[in-house]
Amino acid sequence: MEALKHAVDFSDFKRIDLTVAGALMIFFIVFPITSHSSFAMSTMIQFFMFSLYGMGWNTIGGYGGQVDLGKAQYVGIGAYTTAVMLVRWDTPFWVSMPIGVLLSVSWSFIIGYPLFRLKGHYFAIATIATSLVLKDLFEVWNFVGAARGLEISPIDFQPPDFIHLIFKHDVYYYYVILAFFIIGLLYMNWFRKSRLGFQLRAIKDNEAVAASLGINVHWAKIKTYAIATAFVSVVGSFHACYIKNIEPEDTMSLDISILIALMAMLGGAGSLWGPIIGAGILIPIKSYLKEWLGGMAGLAGIDIIIYALIIMIISAKEPRGVWGIIEKWRQRRGQN
Amino acid sequence: MKLLEITNLTKTFGGLTANDNISFAVDSAEILGLIGPNGAGKTTLFNCISGHLPITSGRIVFDGADITALSSYATARRGMARTFQVYAAAGDLTVLENVMVGCFMHTRRRSQAERRARRIVAQFNLTPMADSQVRQLPVAAQKRVTMATAIGTRPKLLLLDEVAAGLNPSEINEITDFINHIHHQMGISVILIEHVMALVMNISRRVVVLNYGQKIAEGRPDEIIKNPNVIQAYLGRRYAAAQEG
Repeated sequence: MEALKHAVDFSDFKRIDLTVAGALMIFFIVFPITSHSSFAMSTMIQFFMFSLYGMGWNTIGGYGGQVDLGKAQYVGIGAYTTAVMLVRWDTPFWVSMPIGVLLSVSWSFIIGYPLFRLKGHYFAIATIATSLVLKDLFEVWNFVGAARGLEISPIDFQPPDFIHLIFKHDVYYYYVILAFFIIGLLYMNWFRKSRLGFQLRAIKDNEAVAASLGINVHWAKIKTYAIATAFVSVVGSFHACYIKNIEPEDTMSLDISILIALMAMLGGAGSLWGPIIGAGILIPIKSYLKEWLGGMAGLAGIDIIIYALIIMIISAKEPRGVWGIIEKWRQRRGQN
Repeated sequence: MKLLEITNLTKTFGGLTANDNISFAVDSAEILGLIGPNGAGKTTLFNCISGHLPITSGRIVFDGADITALSSYATARRGMARTFQVYAAAGDLTVLENVMVGCFMHTRRRSQAERRARRIVAQFNLTPMADSQVRQLPVAAQKRVTMATAIGTRPKLLLLDEVAAGLNPSEINEITDFINHIHHQMGISVILIEHVMALVMNISRRVVVLNYGQKIAEGRPDEIIKNPNVIQAYLGRRYAAAQEG
């Protein structure tokens, strides 16, 4: 009960923040009713997906300060679990998604245990490595379609299939992911005020001090890593149903891992709104660049250059990201 | 009743022996001073007792249980809290949040942790700065935050590592009052590493002296200041003379 109360309690934010958040929420709800292109629709769905990836990353990466560059492996496990179970056994999404989470979290415990003996850059590099190894494995594994991947070819699009999450129109996907987004946001609002949330911030600050306060630092990191993983895996499962054609390259590549971390850092690692702000900035840029520039020969890959520029500017100007800039500005204004 | 019993504790780093065969005990409800020149192995001894460092040989018994092999979070859960000499104060945590981290050791519930933390913050005269970030506070207040956070874990034994270093005389008086409060009102035993002799000799019931990793003396403060070994190794003739005069 108390957890629920904390999840819906945003009272420690300024009124202006809540007004903006409320207005955006209304916009999100009515967006499909307004006229828009299918391009805008798919951009919005991607925005919600990446916000959720970022929220997951933010637990261990933001609050816990452990820079994780291997989140794509859990997108892959979630997506493949749902796709394989759907294609082979016609399993409902609501069954395959929790199984995907279970598999992802199990894998996260297996690799998290040794990984969290590492610190700083070594940890970041090790997460990249595990993710790449898993991707290579999927590329040669025939059961999951190897490098060609898996295609979900629905027999019948009508009526909308909420059991398997197979829809003809994106609007259904939109509302499903919006619901996940709201649940994710409430969870994160609870998480940041929870015992684990506090313990992680203490760990980020100074591990020796955290341990002296009775915190099992290694175990707290592993637990949080599992929470981050669960977030990513759920959206990975959704990704499979939404895209309907998954292959190792576009679910588990390094780009995705980096994009997830980058968005959270850009928006503000360790803050509730950070991942959402980051996704709100980067996803439209990513979509438009792909649409307008990606097709032109010689300009492919320019998105990577732009991400790199953003990360350099952020790390030089304000490590706490856009939200950090806003807070700094407010502090200055408050002093005058 | 012995609260902490250290038997033949030795800690080596490669060829360097930081703590050499040290034995002493702390009674429940006592303040024990731990003094000695820089590099004598005082902080290393704290790290060994609290489980931050594994010891090379010896035995540590705390509150009736052998804790020799336990790591620091486990000793903390058994009731041993400590402060750090160099406190890299909590990045973005406020004073209240910091103390709450300590209080969260005994409860999962935020409301409970917050209620207790507010009480402790008030006891340490920190209420006016409860919502300030710790690193923005003056040193004296930061030291009080580290003590308050440790108290949040409800310890039986508190290890204080140079809490008076860098403070002016009136701040030292203030921190002395807090240590006395922790000891007398809360019934917590204290081991105190300190270079400020006015503080150690004033409030310790007994004092242990280390030099080059070895225990060279143990006794009541008035015995320690007359001990020729201690005078030679640490206190110096002038201090001894001043006490005599």
